[in-house]
Formats: sequence, structure tokens, C-alpha cells
Amino acid sequence: MYFLADDERKQLLRYYLPKARELGVAEELRGWNWHQPPLEPVYGAVLALYEVAGRYCPSGRDVFLRRVQGIRGEPNLAMIQGAVLHDILADLLVAAKRAIYLYGTGNYRAICEALEKYAPAPPLPSTGLSEAEAADLLGKMEILCSFERARVLSRLQEVLARHPYIGEDSLANLTIPVVLEQKLNGAFLGLSGNLSTDAFIFSEPMILDLKFGEPRDFHRLGTTGYALVMEALYEFPVNLGCIVYGEFRGDRLIVKRDIHIISDELRQWFIEERDEKARFVAEEIDPGLAGDCPATCPFYRVCRPGG
Amino acid sequence: MDPVLKVSDIKQYLYCPRIIYFTYVLPVEKKTTPKMEIGKEEHLKTARLEGRRRLRAYGLTEGERFFNTYLFSPRLGLEGVLDMYLAVPRGSFPVDFKNTCRLAVNHKYQLLAYALLLEDQLGRPVRGGFIYLIPLGRAVYVEATPEARLYTKRLLGAIRGLIGQEQFPSLPRRAGRCADCEYRNYCGDVG
Repeated sequence: MYFLADDERKQLLRYYLPKARELGVAEELRGWNWHQPPLEPVYGAVLALYEVAGRYCPSGRDVFLRRVQGIRGEPNLAMIQGAVLHDILADLLVAAKRAIYLYGTGNYRAICEALEKYAPAPPLPSTGLSEAEAADLLGKMEILCSFERARVLSRLQEVLARHPYIGEDSLANLTIPVVLEQKLNGAFLGLSGNLSTDAFIFSEPMILDLKFGEPRDFHRLGTTGYALVMEALYEFPVNLGCIVYGEFRGDRLIVKRDIHIISDELRQWFIEERDEKARFVAEEIDPGLAGDCPATCPFYRVCRPGG
Repeated sequence: MDPVLKVSDIKQYLYCPRIIYFTYVLPVEKKTTPKMEIGKEEHLKTARLEGRRRLRAYGLTEGERFFNTYLFSPRLGLEGVLDMYLAVPRGSFPVDFKNTCRLAVNHKYQLLAYALLLEDQLGRPVRGGFIYLIPLGRAVYVEATPEARLYTKRLLGAIRGLIGQEQFPSLPRRAGRCADCEYRNYCGDVG
């Protein structure tokens, strides 16, 4: 899912990377300027990144309910499926890396075998899915695994064929050049200390975010938030983000990637969202009901008990 | 009916939303600060000199300059007087003179608003513009990306929202800006 296709790589190298350098970013909007406005947090409230970047609730009342009222929403089917599919992809890629370290380049057949044998476990009953939903999800997990397994194996063979003297560490890095679930401390920007990006490519550097739902414009706020946190922590520019959309059509997996520049506009938007939502929490302001609540909202029954 | 906004409102809104409040919701008399006087003088001097200069600062070779052009777009409900625009064979570029050494975010969106206005005026796409940093004698190119255009329009919406709701905005994120603000005396919560 995280490996770019040839045309996407070309677009990245010939368009996005030079464009990002050419456009530049206002210095005050770089994450390493977290200690001064506008990045400096105004309120003491600590928010999770998904709370800032998620605009599924148009008024932001979900943050108020969760943080001020202490109400936990009921996760919807899409959220449960997304979490399971995220985990399975990370697990498969980590298993591949583990096999490379375990068996070494001299025993590459064992690596391939380990990968070929990798099968996802059925979703646990604790996810609260019905039998039919669990079976559907298991089918999707198998499609995802088979897709990713084939890609990892192909990359492994290609790297081995090109580098006769390669060692395990380099093989793991060239085959799967992403860090999965990279943990980040967002405290500098008034965010949670336990953030985690889906994947990060250090060579570009680019933040990757995986989604299994409809593309929404605010999804880019997620990559923007992680980029700001990365800049605050490591003090190097992170100019690019990529949202990977996975869609299941019958027994096929369709993958679309939205590569984008973490521009001034996205950075401003993220800060505005952070400040607005942190104000709701710090000042205990109820932003009120949204005009068009999605029925799948985890807080739908709380906000509209009769509806 | 929505008021016709000025391009400078965008700059002011990003500097401090209270300026918009004191301009449209509760109009008050304002004093001209020394900083504003100096800026005005430098502006005039630059415009005078620009007429005789070549276009090297903009990375262009040939083209025509137009000074102090009044621009108005009924579609955007926006008006402003543009310092200068360059018309070259590959397009037109607005130029905003600024008496500063560093490109600030509020200057960027002010220029983009001029780009949108110029586009409406000329009926041709404007791909970007320049901010001329007077002390450095250098022009910085700002591209009108699709995102930047949308954000500029969002800013216009936010300004209209502030005027419509008539709510006194909270203090800006940069309290240091209050030191040389012409509205300082009207903000009771600024020390």
C-alpha cells in the first residue's frame, strides 16, 4: 500500500519534490517554531491528532463530548474495519522485516516461505461485529494480505537480484523503506504525547496515512499535523504527505494515493482547527449541534437521542 | 447585504481580527502610527524609482508596468488599489511593495487577493505575483496554487462571518503586535 507506482514516483520526483522546494513554507509555520505564535499552543488542553484533523463532526462537538463530558462514542463499522485493516498491514510488514533479520540474506527462501505462510487471524469477537460483518472483514483482510505479500516478495527479489553483497539490515530497509507506526510526542504543539503515524519514509521525507473510506479534503490535515510534529521534534523540513486510499471492489483492492505538499494553507488550517478545538476543551464551550450530523457518527445517539 | 471588502482587510484580519471589528462593526477613529508613516513614504519612493528600473528583480526581461491600479470584483465583493502589476508576454503578475525584510503570511494572502482581482479584471489566469521587499531591493515570487486561492476565499468568508456575527474577537495569537497597533487604546484587555 505504501510503495509508490512508477508514475507516482515520477510525479513525486519531477513535480512534488521540486515544487515543494520552490514554493517554500513561511518560517513561522515550520514545526520547529513551536515555541512562538502562531504554532505555540494558546490553551493547556492536550488533544489527540485525530481530534484536530478529524472534521467528521462539522461543529467539533465530538471533541467537547469526549474531552469535557467524558463520553465515549460507539465506534462505527467503518472505524472498526479501518483499525483492523491498519493493524493487519502493519503486522504483515513487520513480519516481513522480522523474517529478513531472522533468516538473513543467505537463506532468502526461508524469508519467502515465512511470508507466503503469513495468514491473517479472524477478527476477535471483542470487536463487536456480527458474524456476517466479521466474515466480510476477514475476506478484506485476506485480499489486503495477498496484495501486500506479493508486493513485498517482488521487492525482496528485486533488491536481492541487484545487490549481491547485501546484508540483512540494508535488505530490510530497501525492501520495506518505511517506518510503521512511528511514535511521536506532540506535546510541543499542544498535542498528545503518544501520537503514531501510519508510516513514514525518511528518504523523501514523507508522511503516509492509510484510509479505507471515502476521500475527504480534511484528511490532509492528518498528514499536516504529523509533519508539524516531525519538524518540531527533529528540526528538518517535512514538505510532503501522502494519503493512501484502499477500496474493496468485490475481490479486488483498488489503491489510490493522494500525494500533496504540506503547504502554508494546510498548516494554517491545522493550527486554526487546533486552537478552535483546544478552546472548546479549555473553556468548556459546547459548540452545539452540527446542522448535518452523519448518521454514522459515534456520538449520534448522544447528540440526537430521538433522531 | 455583504459589505465590499478591501484587500487590506485580509492583511489586517490575519494580523489581528479585532481590526476588522473596529473597522466594520464598531468603527472608531484611529491614529496613524510612525510605522505607517514611514511605510507610506517608502512606498511612494519605491513606486517612483520602479518606473525607471529594469525588471531584473523579478527575473523578467521585457514587460510593461502599471501603477496604482484600482481593482474591483463584484463576484468576490472585493476591491483594492494594487501598487503595480507587470504585463509580460507570458502573463500578468501583481506586485505589492512592502517595507519589510521578511515575507509574512498576511502579506502573502493580501497579494493572492490582488491576484484574484487582477484575474477578474483581465479575464485571464494570473499564476502568481511578487512581493517586493523594499529594504532588500528583492522580489519574492508567490504562486497562486489552487490551495492558496481557496484559502484566500476562505479568509474572505471568515471576515464576512466576523462582521455578520458582530462578535468581539479574542486576543490575537501574537500579543507583541499590540505594541505598535493604532487600535491599542480601544482594547481594554491589552496591557
